[in-house]
Amino acid sequence: MVNIDNLKEEVKKLIVDGKVKYIIGYEKGRNGLMSNPIFIRKPEDVEKLVWDHSCVYNLAKFLVDEKRRKAREKQPDTKPVGVIVKGCDSRAIVVLLQEKFITRNDVYIIGLSCEKTGVVDERKLTKKLKQKIPEKIEAGEKDTFIITAADGKIEIPAEEILATRCLECKANFPVIYDVLFGEKTNRNVENPYKTLENIESLPQEGKWKFWEEQLSRCIRCYACRSACPMCYCDECVVDTINFAVTADTTAEEKAAKIKWLEKSPLSSENFVYHLVRAIHLAGRCVDCGECERVCPVHIPLRLLNKKLEKEAKELFGYEVGMDPSLPSLISCFKDEDPQDFIR
Amino acid sequence: MPEEFEPKIVAFLCKWCSSAGSDLAGVSRMEYPPNVIPIQVMCSGSVSPLYIFSALNKGADGVLVSGCHPGDCHYIKGNMYARRRLALVKKLLEYIGLEPERFQVSWVSAAEGTKYTQIIKDLVKELKPLGPQTKLRRNP
Repeated sequence: MVNIDNLKEEVKKLIVDGKVKYIIGYEKGRNGLMSNPIFIRKPEDVEKLVWDHSCVYNLAKFLVDEKRRKAREKQPDTKPVGVIVKGCDSRAIVVLLQEKFITRNDVYIIGLSCEKTGVVDERKLTKKLKQKIPEKIEAGEKDTFIITAADGKIEIPAEEILATRCLECKANFPVIYDVLFGEKTNRNVENPYKTLENIESLPQEGKWKFWEEQLSRCIRCYACRSACPMCYCDECVVDTINFAVTADTTAEEKAAKIKWLEKSPLSSENFVYHLVRAIHLAGRCVDCGECERVCPVHIPLRLLNKKLEKEAKELFGYEVGMDPSLPSLISCFKDEDPQDFIR
Repeated sequence: MPEEFEPKIVAFLCKWCSSAGSDLAGVSRMEYPPNVIPIQVMCSGSVSPLYIFSALNKGADGVLVSGCHPGDCHYIKGNMYARRRLALVKKLLEYIGLEPERFQVSWVSAAEGTKYTQIIKDLVKELKPLGPQTKLRRNP
């Protein structure tokens, strides 16, 4: 595990030297084990920084907010924003750079390698501990986690509580960074698309039954959209905002407005919403697992995005978020792209 | 005798090739099933996946996207982008359990009126046994 003192020293130096506007990192959670995001602006706040297996958030999301905030300011501070990233989060930044949503000078990337482990899945942990409140989590020897609760320590094998995406992660280290802590080590992953196989092996009706059961539960709270660092469209298909309804707007004008899908959480509408989201994230989703984590009704959204990641790899040999100088998946093509499905 | 099910097919035809191809089929008086609702678009590359999902959502039993052959695009490479995007849409629709026959892609040039009629005939033949599409349809 990365030495937290080295990290604090680096962050302090950046703040004191005034190289960055502020630094986004993790602090001890106020509600149990899981860490919270923290914005560090003053050197004395640096002591609050933590780094452990409960740092699940993808802090790249805040770069999207930062860009919006900057656009509203009259004289924006052009200094970069420091952000602490894991492997998956750094790939999210690569995609934002690929799409020229942010530039490299906007961000100072402090990379932390997960070093063959990853972050824990809070739901798996709660289930494993039978509702007991964990206080601290440390890496034990030989792929285990040692969890401290009020009544003592428990040792749990890593694969039982690690997030599924971490178990299938091929690059546990940041691919882009200004300063890196920890070693660039790769986990041995036999099959990065293992969870997909359960669904892919189903017959067609079985697939439909599975997805209908899952997606009809969606309550359309759009938490998945809010948590996603890639969902930064100014206008989403589900809520068109550029249509101003004034006193002069006629009924015809309102009726002529294209309505791609209804807002009501009907199964059919939920399908269209989630299909559109999945397609929008094709070749962009970095598998940070935030959508699935924030979903209040536990829809396995990751399976939709992971499927398209797999197809991008198999059909087009495209790997998401590895090189900021490459074009994104659907803004490029090759002459030899498969077309056996076309008549 | 109960009436036979007639599938409703929404076809997004590119203006320069496929739409001209369907015109050729028309002026040549070739016969093909009247189940198609053609929608002319400027290029197959301009067909957003949202159009396809929305067509299925609003009652289409099948969707066809048709454009120029690779290399023949009026906009040089629009159909190449479309090919990549539609491959993903096809895989995604299969993955959620929609019948793969319901979404089809074809290349039809302005001279291929016969090919166009053949595609429509095949499509109608494939969709008839499947019955109405209720999976993505609103208020089935």
